Amino acid sequence: MTERAQEIAQLDRVIHEPARLTIMLILEGVSEADFLYLQREGGFTQGNLSGHLAKLEEAGYVEIEKKFKGKVPLTVCRLTGAGKAAFSGYSQRMIGLLKSDGSPV
Amino acid sequence: MKDVFVSYGRRAAAYWFADGLPEILSGLALVITAAMAFTWRIYAPKSSEEFDRLIVFAGLILYFLVERRVLDFLKSHVTYPRTGYVQPPEESQLRVQTLTVLSLRPDPPAKENVTFFKWRVVGLIWWVFWVAIGIPAGRWVMPVLMAALAVTLYLVNRRSEHPYRWWSALILGLTGLVFVWVDVPAPLQRPLPLLLAGGWLLAQGACTLVHYLRANPYPRTAEGVRA
Repeated sequence: MTERAQEIAQLDRVIHEPARLTIMLILEGVSEADFLYLQREGGFTQGNLSGHLAKLEEAGYVEIEKKFKGKVPLTVCRLTGAGKAAFSGYSQRMIGLLKSDGSPV
Repeated sequence: MKDVFVSYGRRAAAYWFADGLPEILSGLALVITAAMAFTWRIYAPKSSEEFDRLIVFAGLILYFLVERRVLDFLKSHVTYPRTGYVQPPEESQLRVQTLTVLSLRPDPPAKENVTFFKWRVVGLIWWVFWVAIGIPAGRWVMPVLMAALAVTLYLVNRRSEHPYRWWSALILGLTGLVFVWVDVPAPLQRPLPLLLAGGWLLAQGACTLVHYLRANPYPRTAEGVRA
């Protein structure tokens, strides 16, 4: 296995899945967002988003809190410290891979 | 929400203005303050006419103190059940470089917090009121002031998460021309910038809200509101 292939294999698979990467991208850019906002921004179905959020929560990357804004119940999601670190690591690794290919980044 | 911004941070910041509520509230605050200043000028004794400055100042303070709480209340009933809730990043926590690099597109990072709206738009309009106090009254004052305000608002906000369209700024700029023909007594000219700009904000916010409500009807089931 080449060094490059090894690096690709080391990518965080929890984040690497396109839907979960989208969720991480959205949450990395904001302080917190609720289920409905994530669903609309990412173009997810309810079941799809629930499933991916559950995986991210299980990995400790996202924390999900049920709270109220006024009298409206909201399921609010935000990145945890581990999630931010993992996403940062994933980004760096990805950038490194693209750069080593000579592609403009 | 318009799909102008590529980064999610900037989109979240722009989302704050998607329903028009911030503009409606600030427009109302300006119009009410101007109306109170007018009333004071008309009915108060001559010796205490200058207290209209205090009224405007108190209005400004009150607006800055309660704006966020009122908006949170309104948005929790109007916006969040329809299109969801998002808290834009705080000014000190903006780190979207990874987003920009990963997207491989040179999108500028979200450098404007929603709180900037209060200073860049509402604060600017209030500042014009204080400038107007120092200028001798005349028919040319209002057209020049309103044109200057419109150009400043357009330029200062053009790269922010809440830019104004050029024709909208043009309308605001032209409102001052009315007073070339309509004779307003000098003492009553002072609150006019607040009234005109407040009405302008209110109209824009109302249009945005109507458009938003039409595009996003309230969910009849519990679909949009999750426990």
